[in-house]
Parts: sequence; C-alpha cells; structure tokens
Amino acid sequence: MNKKPDDVFIYPKTWINEDARGFVATVEDWARKEIISKRLEYHKEYKRLFAEKRKKLLFDIGLDKIILPEKYGGFGWNTPGRAPDMFSVFLEIGKADATIGFMAAIKSACLAIIAMEPGIDESLLDELVPKYFSEEPKNVAVILPGPGILNVETPLFMGRSIMASVKSTKAGNTVVGKDLRPTGGGADADLFCVVCADKAKKPCIAFVPSDAKGLKKGKPIKETGLNACTNADVSFEEVKVPKPYLVKRDNAVQEIYAWLNLLFGGISLGAAINFYEILYDWADTRTIKGGGRLKENPLCASVLADVAEEISSARLLGLGLAHIMAQSGDKGGVGSPSVYTFAQMIGSSMQKGALAALNHGMELMGSAGYAKEWHVEKHWRDIKTIQAYLAGVGSDIPVKMDIARFFYDLKEV
Amino acid sequence: MNSFDEFSRPEEYVSPGIKHFRMVLRNLIEKEVMPLRRRFDEDWDEHKLIEPLFDRIMGNKGLGTQKSLFPEEVGGWGLGHSDHLGGFAYAMAEEVGRADTGFAVAFLVTLWPLLTILVEPHVNWRLAREFAPMFCNSDKAVFAAMCMTEPQGGADIENLELLKGKTIRTTARLEGNEWVINGHKLWPTNTGGVADLMAVPCTTKPGSDNPDDYALIFVPADTKGVTQGRPYEKAGMAADKNSDIWFEDVRVPSWYRAHGPGTDAKVFMKFIIPLGNVGSMGMLVGAMLNLYERLYEFVSTRTYNNRPLKENDAIAGLIGKIAGDIDVCRVIGHEASMIIDRRNKPYGKPLDSPEVIGKTRNMKKFIADTAVEDFGLAMDVLGVYGVDRDWDIEKHWRDIKMIQLWMGGKQLCQMEATRYFYNCKTL
Ligand SMILES: Cc1cc2nc3c(=O)[nH]c(=O)nc-3n(C[C@H](O)[C@H](O)[C@H](O)COP(=O)(O)OP(=O)(O)OC[C@H]3O[C@@H](n4cnc5c(N)ncnc54)[C@H](O)[C@@H]3O)c2cc1C
Repeated sequence: MNKKPDDVFIYPKTWINEDARGFVATVEDWARKEIISKRLEYHKEYKRLFAEKRKKLLFDIGLDKIILPEKYGGFGWNTPGRAPDMFSVFLEIGKADATIGFMAAIKSACLAIIAMEPGIDESLLDELVPKYFSEEPKNVAVILPGPGILNVETPLFMGRSIMASVKSTKAGNTVVGKDLRPTGGGADADLFCVVCADKAKKPCIAFVPSDAKGLKKGKPIKETGLNACTNADVSFEEVKVPKPYLVKRDNAVQEIYAWLNLLFGGISLGAAINFYEILYDWADTRTIKGGGRLKENPLCASVLADVAEEISSARLLGLGLAHIMAQSGDKGGVGSPSVYTFAQMIGSSMQKGALAALNHGMELMGSAGYAKEWHVEKHWRDIKTIQAYLAGVGSDIPVKMDIARFFYDLKEV
Repeated sequence: MNSFDEFSRPEEYVSPGIKHFRMVLRNLIEKEVMPLRRRFDEDWDEHKLIEPLFDRIMGNKGLGTQKSLFPEEVGGWGLGHSDHLGGFAYAMAEEVGRADTGFAVAFLVTLWPLLTILVEPHVNWRLAREFAPMFCNSDKAVFAAMCMTEPQGGADIENLELLKGKTIRTTARLEGNEWVINGHKLWPTNTGGVADLMAVPCTTKPGSDNPDDYALIFVPADTKGVTQGRPYEKAGMAADKNSDIWFEDVRVPSWYRAHGPGTDAKVFMKFIIPLGNVGSMGMLVGAMLNLYERLYEFVSTRTYNNRPLKENDAIAGLIGKIAGDIDVCRVIGHEASMIIDRRNKPYGKPLDSPEVIGKTRNMKKFIADTAVEDFGLAMDVLGVYGVDRDWDIEKHWRDIKMIQLWMGGKQLCQMEATRYFYNCKTL
C-alpha cells in the first residue's frame, strides 16, 4: 500500500493538538521502523523480542512518563485536554503491537487518577514516581470490579462485584482479596492498582507493590492474545500498604474506566488500521475466479467496504470521546456520570468495530489470515483479548446497564 | 435441561448403530482427549502428546476408525456401502469436535479423500485392495491428506462447478503406465510430515475447463519427488499440521488415478464438497455443545449484581440466544447429514447436484457464522476469564474461525448457494 492510512481514515486534523503531532509522528516512526517493517521475524516469543523495542518507546521516546506532570519528569500532558493526543499516540502503538500499548495504557490510566489535573495527588506521586518510573520498565496491573462468586455477597460497583476489600487505620491500610483476576499482565506487574471496597462498601483504589508482604501471584495463565505480557491471579493476604497508597476520591474508579476505554480503543483501532494495510495489499494482488483481482469482485468489495467503514466510524467515535473527556471540566470531570457513560458506550463500540473489521476482513484472506506469518491473526487475538477484558463480565450487559441508568434514570438495575 | 445431548436432533435420523458408536467414541474422547486438550497448542510442532491420542481413535489397538470406509471384504467396516454414511460422518465430527476441532479435522480428513474411491457406486476395488493393508492392519494412526489448495488460491480449485479445474497448476502427465506429477500445494490437513497417502487434484491439460482433464491421483507420501515442508504456525487448530508440498516428477502407477476422465471431477463434487461441509458442520456443532457446557458452568457459578449471571434477565437474553443457536444448528447439521444419506432414495438428490452443493454450502456457512459470533459473545460473557485457556472457550474460538475460512471460504459458500437458489450463471 503506497498511501498513508491517515490519508484515507480522515478526521479533522484540529482534533489533535498541534504541539502533539510531532510526538505522534515519532511514535508512528517507531512503530514502522521497529516492528511493522520487520514483521516476518516475529511469530512468537513477543515478550522477549519486543523487550528492547518497548524500552526504546518507553524511555528513549519517553512514553513511560506521558501521564506525569512536568515536575515529575513528564511532558505536561497531565490534563484531560490531552485526551485526543493520548488516543492518537496509543493508536500508533497499536499498529505495531497491542501488548506494548496495553501495558502502557494500564499504567497511564491508573496513574491518571493521581497525576491528572485537577486531581493531582503529590504525596502519592512522590512515593510512586521514583519506584515505578525508573530506567527499567515497571509494569502496573489493574484489578477492576467484575464477576462475583455464587453465594458470596460482595460490595458492588454498578452491578460488578468488588472482590477486594480494604481496612484503613491510622497506621495504614490492609488489603484483602483472594484469587483476583487482573485485567491482564498480573504475572509481570510491579504494582497493582486494586479497586477495593472500604468499610462502608464504597469503592476506592489501593496501589499495592507486588513485593508487599502477603501478596501472592498464582501460576501464569495462558491467554488468547496480548502474549507479550503474562497474566496471573493474585491474592492479598492482609497486605499492608502505606496510608497515601489509598485513593478514596469520588469517581476515581469511573476515571480509570474512562481512560482505559479511550486508550484501549486507540490500541485496538491501531491494530485494525494496520490490518487494513495488510488487507489492502492482499486484495490488490490476490486473484479469484480464474484471474480477476479480489478487490474488484463486488462481493469482496462490499466486505472490504465494511472493514473500512468499521474502522472509520470507530476512529471518529474515539476522537469524539477524547474531546468529551478533554472538555469534561464543565460536566464534573472525566469520572462524572455523563463522561463515564460515554466512555463505556464508545469504548465498547470501538472494540466491536475493530473486531468486526478483523473478523470480516479475515474472511477474505483464506488461510493467510490464519497463519502467524501474516500477523493478521495476532491482531485478531489481541483485539479480542482487549474486548473481553474490557467487558469484565456479562459481555456488554453491564455497560448497557450503565447506559440505560444514565439515559433513563433507572433506579433498580 | 440435564445434558448437552438434549439439544435437538431429529431422533428418527439417528440409527441405533450411530447412537452406540457415539457413546463409545464419547467415552474415549472424554477420558483421553479432553484432559489433555489444553496442552495441544504448545504441542503443535512435535505432536508428542497428540500423536498417541490419534492412535487410540484411529489405529487398530484403539477404535480403528481409519478403516471404517473400507469394504468388509478387505478388512474395513464397510461404511462406504452404508446408508448411514452421512450420519456417521456427522456424528464422528460432532463427538470429536466437542473436544477439539483441530483433532477432529486431522482424523476426519484421513477419511475424506478415501470417500472418492470407497463409496458406492464409485468403489475402486483395485485401489481399495491396494490401500487397505495400510489403513486396516495398523495399530498406529495412518493419515491421508486431500491436497487441493495451491499458492495462487484454493477457492477456485474448489469452485469446480464454475471454473471446472481451469486454475489448477499441478500437472499430471501419463507416461507409459505411470502418472508423472509436478506442482506445489499448500495447507492440506495432515501435511507437514503427517500423511502417508495424499490425494492430489491435478490437471492433465493446464488451463483446460474440460472436466475430463481433471485428474484426482493418489500419491503415497514416501514416493520419490514428494517433499513436505515444516508445519505452519497458526492461530489455532494445533492438532492439525499443514505445510507446503512439492511434487517434482513424482511417478505413481496409472491406476492410482481415482477413476478416470469425467468421473474424477464427479466424485470430487459428490463427496469432497458435500461431505466436507457435513464434517465441518459436525465439528462446529460439537464445539458449540462444549461451549454450552463450559458457559453453563460459568453463568451458574459467577454473579453480576450478586445474582447468578444466568438469572439476570439481560444476560439471560444473550446466553439464551447462544443456546437457541446451538439447538437450531444441531438440527441443521443433522439435516445436512441426511441430505447425504437420502442420496439413494427416490426423494434424494445426487450429491453433485447444484442443489446439494448449494444447500450444504449454505448450511455450513450459516453454522460457521453463528459459531464465530456465539463463541465471541461467550468469551465476553466470561469477560476477564473469557481469554483464559482453562475455560476452553477461547481455544474453540481460535480453532473454529478456520472452519469458516476453509473449503474456499465464506464468499464461495455464499456464491455457490446463491447460484443454486437464484439460478445464476456467472457467480
Ligand atoms: C487448518 C487448515 C486446514 C486446511 N485443510 C485443507 C485441506 O485439507 N486441503 C486443502 O486443499 N486445503 C486445506 N486448507 C486450505 C483452505 O481450504 C484454503 O485456505 C481455502 O480454501 C481458501 O483458499 P486460499 O487461502 O487460497 O484463498 P483464496 O482461494 O485466494 O480465496 C481468498 C478469498 O477470496 C474470496 N473468494 C474466493 N472465491 C470467490 C468467489 N467465487 N466469489 C467471491 N469471493 C471469492 C473468499 O473470500 C476467499 O476467502 C486448510 C487450511 C487450514 C488453515
């Protein structure tokens, strides 16, 4: 393909801040040079093979500190106004490798609740930045509310079970939870961001270092995609964490969801756009029906159109969400009911769109789409993994309940 | 509902023999294959774990299914003469597919090319006698491969009704009493060093669209000039190995051609396409039955809003759709198998008729699309657990996608169905 994807998946350029375009271009350059152009070498062992590339992105380019205030070495993107820029950056990473984006997205989303204006929490940043933003990559895993267990009554976050609890005393906090399933990356995590219920059964967020006494990681879990990181269940047996490590601010959990939806959306769309490029070349050169070009066959053309349509609409939706988040100040912030609802709604749509693009496009590629060599199946598995993680439990029903609750003032669900 | 087996199937279609066979096969699959299937992905190259399991299903010390099509006279079960061929094929695919569709395809593809020479009224007795010892006297699993796909495309080669073999580039030249074969195939199930016998669609006149020039020739894998590549790495279907195969001046006896001019194309249309569709449907429905079993467990033991997932009306809507789809797909799968088994009845249709090809293509497409959707949905119902191998659903999700893509892909299914339903001439 000799066109730039941005020239076909058009969007109003002013939707991205001018001073961010250079950084987005740098990340795009990294994606192409470091991974996309060398694709054939990467069939497996992504974790090992991508380690150096990831480091380059995190430290040489500086993505690791994207969310931090300038005072902490960040580049001052710690305002919701940077949401469109963040979305665009993660989209570029997704083109190369969803896992690299995924791990950075989780770290950014979790830290956003203490690093983003107007909720900057310097006492916690002072603790965490030196330990988790050093020369070597430090990973964060998030434990969100999700499925509950039969006959175990749990505190709820909008219907989803909060499986961890925290007791606060003057000396500090004690986190308890058994066999909790992180949203990816549990085995690799250096720091856990855990949604817990406090004594009043209200959701709050505890940051728990992985080397804390009483924290136990389970065996590595084999998962569908995102194989450049490894997940594992984690248990907290009366784990003590210092006082500032607990964030009790209202709507902080909603904020994490909002950022995750936005950034995960960017990653999945990036993967889908890279798939589009691969599909473009396939449809351009493959012949069917005894010699006709695949793309000139009207049935195939209509499927190709579906792929382009899904990606285009999802990208515009994602940028729309980014702007809603950027201008969330007058609505009560990123974690306010309206912004949270839109983030869940659009986040879910973006994942569906990206996955539909892959699913349908693969139908045109026969076995090639299924072979590791073409890299298509990897994007397909990665997007599906992100989609299932984001769903949490019950497919899109919890999100639908969030939407209905907001739009129709439901009282009971 | 007490068991996955209560999903609908027209009971009058299921012979007592099939019922009994299913139970024997199920027992073996549940005891031996299911406990190991979660480790198949890592065994994709070596098949250390997988190979002995094939021996249990296919070889003489196990169930001996690899000899099932051979006539009793040469040591087989005589399934090629049976009125229940379609029913048996479907049942085997469903039972094994419930555990692992990659395992099912590797096992069933062994029978696939043999259909062309072992099913009435097209039994090729000379070849039946010649190949019988290989399959009927072995304790170990012996595999066959059906090598259609070529680098320039597989769909066109399967689109025999429209293209009549004109795109096949693998050539067969008769020299004395030997066929000399040259060409390059890729992707067949049981390649990568697995198959002992290959059936190779060739052209005796490149570019010809005369069905007489379509030759289906059997090639023992150890024949000089046959080279198989390393198995490809894939998204799933680890129990099936696929690779390139090169045929370089490969010589086989002239009688290794399945039948001869015209009939080779006919048996391909009669057996490879409709039974390939029936087998695909069985595997898909088998996997869907297992989806139900695993999903049942999850939605009964995990909660949303502190109530079992299955008791939430909205989630119940989703999982109800999945179960409803399985119920309907199982009926369709059985009906497809009966289309095969009605072939000799006064109200049956020839298997190479546009009606049978169009209808079975459509049914396979319908079930494949439904399965792809439902497995995806089920993974999201499990949410953070949906991508976990231990819940089995994600593996099926990776595996069954290929069933939608193989045999010419979804679009060829659509076109062959539409061609029949609307009497189209150029699709
Ligand atoms: C696990 C596995 C097992 C397999 N087993 C076998 C086997 O046993 N034997 C074997 O020979 N091959 C086998 N294959 C290969 C498989 O059957 C082919 O990949 C498939 O038939 C499609 O062929 P292709 O990949 O060459 O795609 P192409 O033939 O290039 O087709 C690409 C796409 O073009 C479109 N298309 C094709 N024809 C038409 C049309 N007429 N109208 C509109 N659109 C059309 C479809 O979307 C199709 O998907 C296997 C592959 C896998 C992964």
